[in-house]
Amino acid sequence: MDKIISKYSDHPLRSWFIKQSLDFPIRTIIFSIMITLIAASGSRFFIIDDDMLKILPKNLDSRVSWDLIQDEFGSTEVIFVAFGKEGESIFNPEAMATLWDLTEALEGTSQVEEVISISSATRMDNEDGFMEIDDLQSYRNLSQVEVDKIEEYLQKNPTIKKRFISEDNQYLLATIQPYESGALNTFRDTITTISNPILSNYETHYGGQAYLTGTMPELIRDDVIGLAGIGVLIMTIILLANLRSIAGVAMVLMLIGLSLVAMIGVMGWVYHLTGSDRFLFTLANTSMPIILLTIANSDGVHVISKFFKEFRSKQDSRKAIASTMDCLLIPIFLTSITTIAAFATMMVSPIEPLFGYGIIIGAGIAWAWFLSSLLLPAVISLKKWDSNSIAISRTSIFENIIKKLGKVVFTHPKYVLTFGVAFVIIGCTGLSKIIVDVNMVNFFKPGTEIRDSMDFLDEKMAGTVDIRVRAEGDMKSPEILSSMRKLQDLMEEDEKVSTSFSIVNVVEQMHRTVMDDDPSYEVIPENREKINNLFTMYSMSGDPDDFSSMVDYEYKIGLITAFSKVMSTIEIFDYVEKMNQEVKLLKAEGLDLEFTGMIVILRDLVEMIVSSSVLNIVFSLIIIGIIASIFFKRILWGLLAVVPLFSAVIINFGFMGYFGIELSHVTALLSSIIIGVGVDFSIHYISQYRRLARTVRSDKLISEVIEDVGYPIILDAGSNMGFGALLFSVFLPIQNIGGLMVFAMVSTSIGTLTVLAALSELLKHKLIEKDDS
Amino acid sequence: MKYFLIYFYSVFLFGQTGLEIAKMVDMRKTPKDQSNITKMILTNSKGKKRINIIKSKSMDRNKKQIMWFLEPNDDKGVAFLKIENDGKDDEMRMWLPAFKKIRRISSRKKGDSFMGSDLSYEDMSSREIEEHKYSRLEDEIINSILCYQLEVIPNKKAISYYSKHLTWIDQSTLMIIKEESYDKRGELKKTKEFYNAVLKGYSVMERVFVKDVQKNHSTEVTFEGLEVNSGIKESLFQEKNLKRLPKN
Repeated sequence: MDKIISKYSDHPLRSWFIKQSLDFPIRTIIFSIMITLIAASGSRFFIIDDDMLKILPKNLDSRVSWDLIQDEFGSTEVIFVAFGKEGESIFNPEAMATLWDLTEALEGTSQVEEVISISSATRMDNEDGFMEIDDLQSYRNLSQVEVDKIEEYLQKNPTIKKRFISEDNQYLLATIQPYESGALNTFRDTITTISNPILSNYETHYGGQAYLTGTMPELIRDDVIGLAGIGVLIMTIILLANLRSIAGVAMVLMLIGLSLVAMIGVMGWVYHLTGSDRFLFTLANTSMPIILLTIANSDGVHVISKFFKEFRSKQDSRKAIASTMDCLLIPIFLTSITTIAAFATMMVSPIEPLFGYGIIIGAGIAWAWFLSSLLLPAVISLKKWDSNSIAISRTSIFENIIKKLGKVVFTHPKYVLTFGVAFVIIGCTGLSKIIVDVNMVNFFKPGTEIRDSMDFLDEKMAGTVDIRVRAEGDMKSPEILSSMRKLQDLMEEDEKVSTSFSIVNVVEQMHRTVMDDDPSYEVIPENREKINNLFTMYSMSGDPDDFSSMVDYEYKIGLITAFSKVMSTIEIFDYVEKMNQEVKLLKAEGLDLEFTGMIVILRDLVEMIVSSSVLNIVFSLIIIGIIASIFFKRILWGLLAVVPLFSAVIINFGFMGYFGIELSHVTALLSSIIIGVGVDFSIHYISQYRRLARTVRSDKLISEVIEDVGYPIILDAGSNMGFGALLFSVFLPIQNIGGLMVFAMVSTSIGTLTVLAALSELLKHKLIEKDDS
Repeated sequence: MKYFLIYFYSVFLFGQTGLEIAKMVDMRKTPKDQSNITKMILTNSKGKKRINIIKSKSMDRNKKQIMWFLEPNDDKGVAFLKIENDGKDDEMRMWLPAFKKIRRISSRKKGDSFMGSDLSYEDMSSREIEEHKYSRLEDEIINSILCYQLEVIPNKKAISYYSKHLTWIDQSTLMIIKEESYDKRGELKKTKEFYNAVLKGYSVMERVFVKDVQKNHSTEVTFEGLEVNSGIKESLFQEKNLKRLPKN
């Protein structure tokens, strides 16, 4: 064994790090793996949950109202099951028997609170002076005459019909309310497992927020596993092409794998210890493993490729490792810290999962830095390397290409700069075209089963986007009920809002029934006594739970529910604004109303995404500017470091506008990812510029820097093409992130070598003089 | 002969059969009429309560019953008349003072809740012996009272919302003191506790506590100011008497 080198670096801290890897490699490896395993053991607490509500801050008005409604009226997140046969009327005994079986089977499970369908609904009739409250469908096997009576009743009560039958009378609808809001994935599985065999003879469609939320964990899990696999494959190919060493590639993959399992485990631990929904793995987090994968890969590939270069010249692996780490410890630390800082700014985001995203990926990046600084050199030191191998003895094809590319950039800097600036200008003009859309239905491509089902329910049924209004007041007061009726009428004025219902509808129907089924009495009675008499009369033969989804036990809180077809962001804003105006007016009249539901949630989410994106960009640029200023001891360097990042962000968002890629809570991550990953290039460029400025003449400085730094920058960008794996996601926004990130890697790396290079050339006298001083 | 011996041994070893006990309960001496002030407290799963106070008069084992609502104030003046007819639908009428109308109410569904309580019309009606199968289980002591324990299963003739009842009957008074009712899926639906008193030599119910264990909703009914055989006339059970609260 070689004699231990007592001093590996001029810097004591760097020397200590290198010493741990070279003098105590086994200890370092065991320690690193043990800590990784401890962290990874938290994966048993790791939970995938993409409940839209959990994205919102708990103190947000619409969420507070939503939570109150859930508490008072049970879960409002439901699954819709529609079935029928295209071109055939659903009003036939066979379909009714199937609906009966479906309702019975679903109601028989402990996970179901209630099934709302023709089979479970009641009808209110006046027959020969009788106030009759009976089942709408009394038993399973009906005759055609009995089915016709149901149809007749529903035609007479169109508001009720909209809740049970499609507009064209071809599909029946069952609405299933879960017993509790949690574990919607198992709820969704239970519903489909029970329903599918019963509905095997029919065209079946599932939908609703609970269905989407319940389906997401499985889709996300499959997506993450698939994407990580593709990401690793892409990287392996890039690494093999570049490093040409299976052992070298295996070491980088080891680094990636350990970082990844540690990060997932940390997420589980943090969730376990804090219990905060911020640390649930949501759709937005799907990109997280791929991002860490590329960052860890970036660290690893720098170490391995630099080691090969050093070994080629020094022919001594220990010296080569020492020299490699002496050179790279600071840049890797600096790029890690700036990337962590960029992601840490996500903590200012009002969107809950982005807070967790920022912290957890920060932990993952920190661990990747630790492993690449200590574990990787320790592992390298244990292998006997052959100095005659192709990987070490010859420069890679990549290296040669980069050298040529560097020369091109250097010989035509003005063209390149003009090209870069033109891109930024084009990007600026596209910013105004950005559309914000957070509707989860649009996260799936048309043609996919989930998207088609949701579209079907939207077109044929009453719609799947719910609107809820919590009304506080005396629910037996005619004034209060009239105000609620006024609001319902206004809600239904929008053509996309197909139906609304509340206790007002029931009171009107009871009034008509008591008054010998005279349609002119389908109004709110003029005094409280009459309303109370109606409720008392109903209680003599109706189920007390019949009203539980509309009014609380003490008749002090009512719930208006409406369903709308999918609206565009602009339509949502207009609608919510119009309703809020009316709510204000009605509040002045004494009715305490709170407007919420998925439509308001979507509106709030849009607002939060816009503010979150702006905050992330501003904060991350400021923080990175400050960190770069401190490390490079110049504010000007700090400003220059953020120029390519800012340009890349503008170009990316501008292109999103041009290509119609919606900004959502998933794509809002882009700014942080671009800045966090792209900052590495600026750091490498500036580090090299400052180092060479001490030895190279100023007229040759820029070409030397580009030639020297071009390879690691393009190599870094190339290895980050693992982001391309995201293009294979089943979720449209994740696909968009994949495409945009590939583009962002090109724009940030080229931006660094053009815009930053040009600026540093223009300001070189100032920069060199100051650095000299 | 073989069947006779089996029957003989079963009676000899266990005393009465389930059916015999059911018949004994059915033939128990009951007052001709009853009147009371019924206080009904409904409590939902969140602990919120509704209280109703009703003046009630009945005869023929509650087959004829008239009720006037006293509380809550909102319901004051509402009155209800029920007459059970053998082999026909029951007649139920209600006086709605705000509408100044009497309305008939359908009694088609025996499983419907009575006044939003946990008692259904089926719970409140007497069981037809021939429509149920009675099996005697091991006797048990409940609250220091020696009880017969019966398993009661509705047969196909019975239109029932239950699959089974377990009933505990006080051996000395033949009054039911506890019952568990199971839904069609065979899961426990309701538990009922009965508290009885003796009045003028008759065993009468003075408090009932029913809990719907699936909905976590409960109903407590207490009968205050109980009177038996006070000479209620059959003519009381007419529509016209719904409109006026009697003085006594």
